[in-house]
Amino acid sequence: MKISSFNYLIRQGFKGIWRNKMMTFASFCILLVSLIMVGFAILVSINLDKVIGNIEEKSEVVVVVKDKVSKQSMTDLQLKIEDIPNVSELRLYSREQAWKDMMEKMTEAQRDYFKYADDNPLPDVFRLKVKDIQKMNDTTAQIETFEGVESVQSPTEFADILISFRRIFVIVAIAIVIALVLVSLIIISNTTRASVFARRKEINIMKYVGATNSFIRIPFFIEGMVVGLLASCCALFITKFAYEGVYNILTNDYKLFGVFGLNNIYSFDSMLLPVTVSYLVAGAFIGAIGTSISTGKHLKV
Amino acid sequence: MVEFKDVSVTYSSGVDALNKVNLKINDGDFAFVVGPSGAGKSTLIKLILKEIDATTGTVLVNGFNLRKLKRKKVPALRRTIGVVFQDFRLIPTMTVYENIAFVLRVIDAPAKYIRSRVPYVISLVGLSKKAKSYPTELSGGEQQRVALARALVNDPQLIIADEPTGNIDPELSYEIVELLKGINECGTTILMVTHEHDLVRYFGGRIININKGNIQFDEFIGGSNEN
Repeated sequence: MKISSFNYLIRQGFKGIWRNKMMTFASFCILLVSLIMVGFAILVSINLDKVIGNIEEKSEVVVVVKDKVSKQSMTDLQLKIEDIPNVSELRLYSREQAWKDMMEKMTEAQRDYFKYADDNPLPDVFRLKVKDIQKMNDTTAQIETFEGVESVQSPTEFADILISFRRIFVIVAIAIVIALVLVSLIIISNTTRASVFARRKEINIMKYVGATNSFIRIPFFIEGMVVGLLASCCALFITKFAYEGVYNILTNDYKLFGVFGLNNIYSFDSMLLPVTVSYLVAGAFIGAIGTSISTGKHLKV
Repeated sequence: MVEFKDVSVTYSSGVDALNKVNLKINDGDFAFVVGPSGAGKSTLIKLILKEIDATTGTVLVNGFNLRKLKRKKVPALRRTIGVVFQDFRLIPTMTVYENIAFVLRVIDAPAKYIRSRVPYVISLVGLSKKAKSYPTELSGGEQQRVALARALVNDPQLIIADEPTGNIDPELSYEIVELLKGINECGTTILMVTHEHDLVRYFGGRIININKGNIQFDEFIGGSNEN
């Protein structure tokens, strides 16, 4: 195709936007809302993963060993725990070390109190981290069955809540994404249908003089893509301001959220490039595909 | 060249529009196609433009065998044909110049060629002074001349004029046919569908009479204008 023809088709695409102002505006709005909601669902999902990841990193399982376990049994137990695939960073925190650390942390008066203790009352302990927090329950249950284990302590309840929340959120987010993308496609496809109807005379003449399918479709394609790109630019700005507002609240205004690891979410700037690219690609893609659906049906040469 | 070999068309409604039609229009011919409404004239045109396919038989148009022609090659066929409609089908938002240039843009003609070809064709139909006018500012006869210029602009081998005089004053009808005759003298094949027997009698030439899907008459007659 010649550059002059391409320029002509691009101009026709922009003219189409102007000609169908109301329908174009409707497409723009629905796409804007869709992109903001889809974008937020994805951003929350990404950050939820990060928060859970932080908790995973911090979550430590404590395996309390029974009293009077032989050194050989301790070594066997350590090997058995190390063999569990979900276990990472296993270390022994001996009763001697624990006693020493406790003493160091105590005041002089407290130390005096223990001066006359006959024996070290503290148990040997294994501290370990899990690779996948979702399997924490299984891992602790398995360790509890090992010989020489007194008890296993793990923060499973909080992990369970987070995991359930993430699971529900992912399902809801996917449903929202699918619904909004479908609605956007239908609205844009209807806009294009109106645009095709408005230009039916031209299209009819184009067909009779030998225009190819692509020649007829390109202006509509451009129309959809431009609307998509405009909507994604606006959605990007709105998302940025809204996200930064939430970010500031979580990290500066309400530091209490730090307890749940919520102060450790991504800043918008750190995600600027992938978010911008995703918004632009999604906007242009939905816009272009929406127009292709109806032009495919109506412009058969 | 247009050739129909044993062409029949039966619509999905069961109506037989054409029955084993055999017809040959050679390059450079001028033929009037006449017949009452529902005779099969429109079906004939639709077949030539490959809007529909023949149920049986073969249609050859400007070297294309339409039975074997794939959908994506239809634009190539249509670029060899110019069409003039009864209702002109001009785009009201475009000037005369733009309406004609539009055809060349569609077929991806170079901008320089468009700039030289369009004024030339406008001058051929005698509308140079109206190049910047919009269709609504023109009379019916002038609009049809623009439509003729549009059909002519990409130098087609064949022009199909589907009742080109149906919406214009009778005296202007003669002007339009004169223009078509002039175009034909330059070598373009013309197939003109009409209801106007006076016009046919006046100009004479090859007359193809279709009725109930059959060609009932295909002969040359002398025109009264020759007397």
